[in-house]
Amino acid sequence: MSDIAVERSEPIALKARLNEDWLALVIGLLVFAASLFSIAGTDLLGWAVTTSVYTDVTTALSPIAKAYAGLGGGGALIATYAALVIVLSLGVTTLGADARKFAIAFTAVFALAYASWILGSYAHIAAVTPAEQQKFGISWSLKLTNEGGFVVALLAGLIIANFFPRLAEWLKEAIRPELYIKIAIVILGATVAVTAAARLNLASSLLLRGAAAIVEAYLIYWSIIYYISRKWFGFSREWSVPLASGISICGVAAAIATGGAIRARPAVPVLVSSLVVIFAVIEILILPFLAQTFLWQEPLVAGAWIGLAIKTDGAAVAGGGITESLIMAKAAAEGIHYQPGWILATTTTVKIFIDIFIGIWAFILGYIWTNHIDKGPDRAKPSEIWQRFPKFILGFIFVFAVSLWLAVGSTPEIAKALPAAAGEANVFRVIFFILTFFSIGVLSDFRKLWQQGFGKLAAVYFVSLFGFVIWVGLLISWLFFSGFKPPLAS
Amino acid sequence: MSQPDLRNELATAEVEPLLPIEKKLIGWSLGLGIVLLVVLISLNHFVPIKI
Repeated sequence: MSDIAVERSEPIALKARLNEDWLALVIGLLVFAASLFSIAGTDLLGWAVTTSVYTDVTTALSPIAKAYAGLGGGGALIATYAALVIVLSLGVTTLGADARKFAIAFTAVFALAYASWILGSYAHIAAVTPAEQQKFGISWSLKLTNEGGFVVALLAGLIIANFFPRLAEWLKEAIRPELYIKIAIVILGATVAVTAAARLNLASSLLLRGAAAIVEAYLIYWSIIYYISRKWFGFSREWSVPLASGISICGVAAAIATGGAIRARPAVPVLVSSLVVIFAVIEILILPFLAQTFLWQEPLVAGAWIGLAIKTDGAAVAGGGITESLIMAKAAAEGIHYQPGWILATTTTVKIFIDIFIGIWAFILGYIWTNHIDKGPDRAKPSEIWQRFPKFILGFIFVFAVSLWLAVGSTPEIAKALPAAAGEANVFRVIFFILTFFSIGVLSDFRKLWQQGFGKLAAVYFVSLFGFVIWVGLLISWLFFSGFKPPLAS
Repeated sequence: MSQPDLRNELATAEVEPLLPIEKKLIGWSLGLGIVLLVVLISLNHFVPIKI
């Protein structure tokens, strides 16, 4: 987390978070609404850039829609950058940021992040099956799939954070992983709905499993980690609450929400949050590949596991994307072609369900603290539940509901045109994922782990995460999802 | 809060024993969580995913 965040008071930090949530909701809805015009025959987003696996870099980029082919890859890339920098620069002014400073930093962030994505799509990195290798005329590849570009973007950010700190500092105005992933999650509602519409009974069963994720995260994980933090490591209540919340629920948002609820000093949850980001980065680099190796025959177990084990929205949902890509590639190599979207949808559903209850848990803790532990005039109020509710989830739910209705409740013509429209919105979802991965990397200064004091916080995190959170999450995911596979692609 | 302050604070902080309300919070959360999980697992067993 930036030093600026450390210095803010909690009410201001909460207000900024609320505005970021609403901004993400507005931008996400804007992209979704624009994509729907194509159903009526007016393609408003077809100029957006998409990247294919390549050996010749001049063929890597192209506009998503054939109608815009005249733009060429370079034109599509410039148009995409222009649209994003205008919309985001205007948007961040509502957060109190300077549009010009943001635009300059964002230009560099977009360039570095998208260059990483293009690099990740190089055939020697991305090609998976022998057939793909033959198509590109290569004899070897790292088999990361084209979504390996997310990992390249993350690594690029990590290199900048740890070896070029002045560049990281210069970029920080546009390093906003939470904003980017919230926008992506709102847009993702459309893709998840199109996926769910194909198999409604399978999709509805995910809701039951989502409920299990809530129980596990809030009631089981939180209580054990709070006990470990207080009893084994001797942390005070002020530190233990945001630490337990960050490790068990949802990293940044939960640490700040619950830290604020018990009236902790603002710096406490913010410092915990930076630790959450660092561990999430480590998890993204390991867990999707473990999932591909050991869980490729249980794809939904893998999706749920990622949602339970990785503790920030950005890393979890994006990690679900990587996991899906890796598992689908491995399955394809074995002749099994799953329908895309199910693993990512499982991860997203699990994570969203966990997020929904942040406000309620923060209120419960606030009530206990202000009435039984630190009694004072500033008592917790039920209105805090709504105040702390992650508003961008409303965007996801709205986009999901509208898309689902269009898919199953409208005319066959609309239902047939919807996947293409959702696909165009999905191009922007991918771009915001890229920006998220890059930004998470830039925020992850591993040197902090080695500073005295932080090491003790990191020890609680390490013991909890690798001691039981990851493995209990795997067990629960196995109990609920093993034996059930995504539908096969038709 | 700067890093030296963090180090100093964590090194010199007084140990706060667990209060009865904290023990109740931990106990009730864990107990309720395990019970609910058993219920959900049972529900999952009797209402399996249909494709």
